[in-house]
Amino acid sequence: MGMKFRCERDTLVEALSAAGRAVTTRGGALPVLAGVRLELVGDQLTVTGSDLDLTITVVIEVAGGEDGIVVVPSKLVSDVVRSLRPGSVDVAVDDDDVRIVSSPSEFSIRTIPADEFPELSGAEGDAVTLDAGEFRAAIDQVEKAASSDDARPILTGVLMAAEADGLRLVSTDSYRLSVRDLSGTAILSEGQTVLVPSRALKELSRVVGDQDQITLRLGERDAGFEVGGVSITTRLIEGDFPNYRGLIPQNHPNQLTVDRETLLDAVRRVRLLAQESTPVRLAMSDDGLELVAVTQDVGQAHEAVEASYNGTDLTVAFNPEYLIDGIEVAPGDEITLETVDELKPALLKAADDPNFLYLLMPVRVS
Amino acid sequence: MTEVASILHADLDSFYASVEQRDNPRLRNRPVIVGAGVVLAASYEAKAYGVRSAMNGGQARMLCPHAIVVPPRMETYSEASKAVFEVFHDFTPLVEPLSPDEAFLDVSGATKLLGSPAQIAADLRSQVLADVGLAISVGVARTKFLAKVASAQAKPDGMIVVEPDRERAFLHPLPVEVLWGVGPVTSAKLRDHGVETVGDLAASGGAELQGLLGSHAGRHLRALAHNRDPRPVDNSRRDRSMGAQRALGQRVRTREELRTELLGLAEKVAARLRKAERVTRTVTVRYRNADHERESRSRTLVEPSASTQLLTATADDLLLTLVDGPHGPGSRLGRVGCSLIGITFSGLGRADAVQLALRFPEEGRSTERLDGLVDDIRQRWGSKAVARASLIRRSEGIEVLGRPTALDA
Repeated sequence: MGMKFRCERDTLVEALSAAGRAVTTRGGALPVLAGVRLELVGDQLTVTGSDLDLTITVVIEVAGGEDGIVVVPSKLVSDVVRSLRPGSVDVAVDDDDVRIVSSPSEFSIRTIPADEFPELSGAEGDAVTLDAGEFRAAIDQVEKAASSDDARPILTGVLMAAEADGLRLVSTDSYRLSVRDLSGTAILSEGQTVLVPSRALKELSRVVGDQDQITLRLGERDAGFEVGGVSITTRLIEGDFPNYRGLIPQNHPNQLTVDRETLLDAVRRVRLLAQESTPVRLAMSDDGLELVAVTQDVGQAHEAVEASYNGTDLTVAFNPEYLIDGIEVAPGDEITLETVDELKPALLKAADDPNFLYLLMPVRVS
Repeated sequence: MTEVASILHADLDSFYASVEQRDNPRLRNRPVIVGAGVVLAASYEAKAYGVRSAMNGGQARMLCPHAIVVPPRMETYSEASKAVFEVFHDFTPLVEPLSPDEAFLDVSGATKLLGSPAQIAADLRSQVLADVGLAISVGVARTKFLAKVASAQAKPDGMIVVEPDRERAFLHPLPVEVLWGVGPVTSAKLRDHGVETVGDLAASGGAELQGLLGSHAGRHLRALAHNRDPRPVDNSRRDRSMGAQRALGQRVRTREELRTELLGLAEKVAARLRKAERVTRTVTVRYRNADHERESRSRTLVEPSASTQLLTATADDLLLTLVDGPHGPGSRLGRVGCSLIGITFSGLGRADAVQLALRFPEEGRSTERLDGLVDDIRQRWGSKAVARASLIRRSEGIEVLGRPTALDA
């Protein structure tokens, strides 16, 4: 089946690489999944990549010549188009090859039999619209705390749950836990929860751009997101998310309040001397906060940080990366760090925004 | 620099070719070349004809027409390399790998337990031969540089200990080419100026050498010629995992035999873990039957540990799930016997800085909560305080709670 269109290089590169991000990198069971599927109807080109768990579809406008469907090797074709000179690109399929021409370059690349590409249906369920900027900010606040360890699949997801009058996002890799409330966003019925792979949300955050709205559909097994010309469908994770509520201590005798940027800069500096997975220590007293990092045979760093502290003198050690992840995504100019002792989870919050919290387990030093 | 010669440089002899000769008796005592296009390795018998690594295959066959050329088996070499490093780690945690077939070992901290560095070097050589079936040459000296020179001089299949008072006598008669950084160009320059041995170089003036070779190279070579090399053995490229395995031959083993082997390995590696001041987060038990089918089971601990008690108990549990699983003793995997059993600790971290984890009140349908409880109980009351019912029924009699056993030591 032939297929023919002309398109701006940059538009095509963007579509190929966005869809290509869902393409499986490990040699999966279906070789056809190493490809992206291009479908041209009139002037509309639909580019689809999938690893069966995650499917990303991008629709772009092109100058259509002849309708058709083809599957092409994702990485190769994406690299080829990106390498071309700026300007328009002609794409035409004849027999088993796709020809990609942008004078004076001409490529002919073997295609993958299109009939082997699996049928991919989008998520079912009613469409709900969300504020794109707000939802992306919320994703960015929780996705880092999700686990990347496939041995614990449940923790690789972000929990979406109905909470009071809104939506709550929760993630944890068992070392830290992020909770973010979006009030007034009622997309789930009471008591309903879904577990969305953090990988899908990361891709969503990446493609939001300057769009205003995200359309969300929640099905039994899948969730679908649409933003601009991009739609992302992901299989939901099955299983029960840990009961995180009981983990958040209700009583924190010690409270540290500090300027967010100041603390972030200081931890980033001191971290340079926290090598070989040594922690950064936070010594808190009436005098404020002192950060300390010591790496044996390398050296040490100290920094006093202006802060107000209510509580007993306490030194707690944290993995600097985890600490920075939390400080970076906390909203507002001021944050509070609430602690019980040097072994219990610490709670990092925005001083004036109750809709975000970040629970962080310390490092036990001896 | 240490006062005692306690740095070892251990280097496998003609690594790939030796593995081929080990695995195929027909290749022994004959010239063997690994790799057809380019020579990846040559046995000593082939080296005698002038065949060298990285040589073009055609040239090698002209030099040694009766050589047996075999294709490389990288996976086998990698397995052998791992096994050799396991042996290194049995002697000292201070192992600095240089390549898959050579490493520096600092044994200064092991002499009380294992004897003099010379004794350790001899034991290391016989242990590598016994466990892996390969010859390894070892040089022992006060510096890394001299240890490496010594192991090269000791080849094949030998060892040289350079005691501090013998350093000059050993090093100075050697040709300058033994020094790191002396390639063909530098060598020609030096020889043009009458510098042929390390001793000649040591006797040359610093200014003279720097004028000849540039200030950096001049200083570097002069330092080496006087055996000044302050670099310590660096194990900072810390391992992400530690393990041990044992080949068991073809006979079908009983569960108790497997258990004894496995727990012995677990104890050994746990001790190594503590010596390196590390803790492990994940325990994996590996099992391979006589048909080379592999299987493994892993468990992540609630909190990283280096406790022999906890780690052997976890290994014991994992073995149970392995042998009672679909490949248990009644299955084909069980019937054809176990050719290899092994244990790996991964997700290693520092023992003095342990990232704590949140304790989830329950975790879905997984058994992690139970494991956490069992771990807690065992940590407090000993490994026999709780046991899986299946294990109690099948072991010989019920053990008394809390009674100390050899494993609790």
